[in-house]
Amino acid sequence: MSRLRIQIGDLSKTFREGGREVPAVSRVSLDILDKEFVALVGPSGCGKSTILNMIGGLIAPSDGQVLIDGSAVRDVPRQVGYVFQKDTVFPWRTVTRNIALGLEYRGVAGPEQERRVAEAIRLAGLSGFEEAFPATLSGGMRQRVALMRTLIVEPEILLMDEPFGALDTHTKLGLHAELLALWEAKHQTVVFVTHDLSEAITLADRIVVLTRRPGKIKLIHEVKLPRPRDVIKLRETDEYAQEYSQIWRVLGEEFAPPEGGSAPLPAPPPGLARAKPALEQGGSADTGHAV
Amino acid sequence: MNEKLKINFWRLAILVVGVGAWEWLTGIKAVSKIPGLYFIDPFFISRPSKIVERFFYLNSDKVRLTLWQMLLSTVESTFIGFFVGVSTGFVAGLVLGRNDRLARIFEPYIIAFNSLPRIALVPLVTMIFGFGLLAKVVLAWMIVFFIVFFNTFQGARSVDPDLIHSARFLGAREGQIMRTVIIPSALAWTFASLTPSISFALIGVVIGEFIGGESGGGIGYLIISSLGTLNSADMMVSLIVLAITGIVMALGIKQVEMRLLRWRPEYQPKG
Repeated sequence: MSRLRIQIGDLSKTFREGGREVPAVSRVSLDILDKEFVALVGPSGCGKSTILNMIGGLIAPSDGQVLIDGSAVRDVPRQVGYVFQKDTVFPWRTVTRNIALGLEYRGVAGPEQERRVAEAIRLAGLSGFEEAFPATLSGGMRQRVALMRTLIVEPEILLMDEPFGALDTHTKLGLHAELLALWEAKHQTVVFVTHDLSEAITLADRIVVLTRRPGKIKLIHEVKLPRPRDVIKLRETDEYAQEYSQIWRVLGEEFAPPEGGSAPLPAPPPGLARAKPALEQGGSADTGHAV
Repeated sequence: MNEKLKINFWRLAILVVGVGAWEWLTGIKAVSKIPGLYFIDPFFISRPSKIVERFFYLNSDKVRLTLWQMLLSTVESTFIGFFVGVSTGFVAGLVLGRNDRLARIFEPYIIAFNSLPRIALVPLVTMIFGFGLLAKVVLAWMIVFFIVFFNTFQGARSVDPDLIHSARFLGAREGQIMRTVIIPSALAWTFASLTPSISFALIGVVIGEFIGGESGGGIGYLIISSLGTLNSADMMVSLIVLAITGIVMALGIKQVEMRLLRWRPEYQPKG
């Protein structure tokens, strides 16, 4: 049994919008173990990014708290790396100088810096683009730079806010494979926010399904797919399809129109077309402590 | 390629026809009862041949200050005013851009000062700083400062907060965030204001020379003293030299700007 890494206790966040109080996150409690890969999924606007930002110390909770390694998060915690959905690669720095940023901040210079940056560039498959400015790179390459820039300082905890949300499917799959390979090597604790269920199943150990705004935990689901996972072949397996339909049955309700209509939005799970309809044992896969 | 050649041909043709017509029309006598009247009077707009002649005369040792010395004085003041204006404007923009309270305190003064036509200050500046280099530099500075200030201010305010956050997650301290995120972001805006700034610096200097150029000369001084002697040829010489100087300086700074902003998408080599 791994030790506890992140403890989220009764976490709530209410935003003020023009004098009106808008609850974004409502009483979320979740324990995340060391080396665990957890995905938060839910419809857009359900507060999943808000939860991530509270773990990262970017915004303060209205109520409740986040503990990392037992101490409450106030400012940006030292052991945490964060990958944004938005392109946060510094446009005025070359690939090399972007990846070197974290080392520069920590005073790692000279040959040590060069060696580690070169290694990161090789790992990210960015060889030949060392001196390129981000403007000349594709979206996928830029996000790889952002990922390596975060990983080079070896954070023990990695927070990822829809990091591949803006990319096309093929680029995304490639990056899933790369991320999993990097994660297998270092086993960081990862909290990964996405609205893409297949992405969550491919990557995570546990999937936390959130409700519509204000976000509450609806389901915590353990993904029972063996590792290491092949991101392409995985999608053709029955196990994957089962996982998908189990979660979708719960998540799909959250995508339904807020009132009146009962039909869920047409978002058929990919690969489920082949799946057998006999998926009735679903509930047992839940870990049970859904709110 | 062919298209480019055509364009250049027409450009040259316009120049040749224009200058030719100027030379010819100011050389022929008008049909009039009053003898000696020109079709177009070269007294006002001079003649190309006369301008060339004066150009060489003004560069000879028959004058107190040669055209070259005058030009040097103008260019020198422009560059000093430009550099002082850019650096002070940058610092002020950065400080006020990152400090909301200071920005709010200074806002009315900045707006008031910026609304004042700079040209109205020329006599006062001359009175304070005298008829020399300093007054011209101060005028150029006053114009450039505000251009750069407003740009940098905007730049310092619009730094993407997620860039600051990501720097913080990478372990940056406040000073490092300033150095690696805020200053580079703001500089992008500052650099984009360099090209207009050099042109405006030149305007400031020439205006300054109209009134206060006497001791050091300067192209603006040459223009205003030609007005005193009703010498349109000298004025034309000054204007042409000034136009060329303006173009060369603007192109030079544009090169610097492109070099400094080479990471921007719009400056990436195409294809």
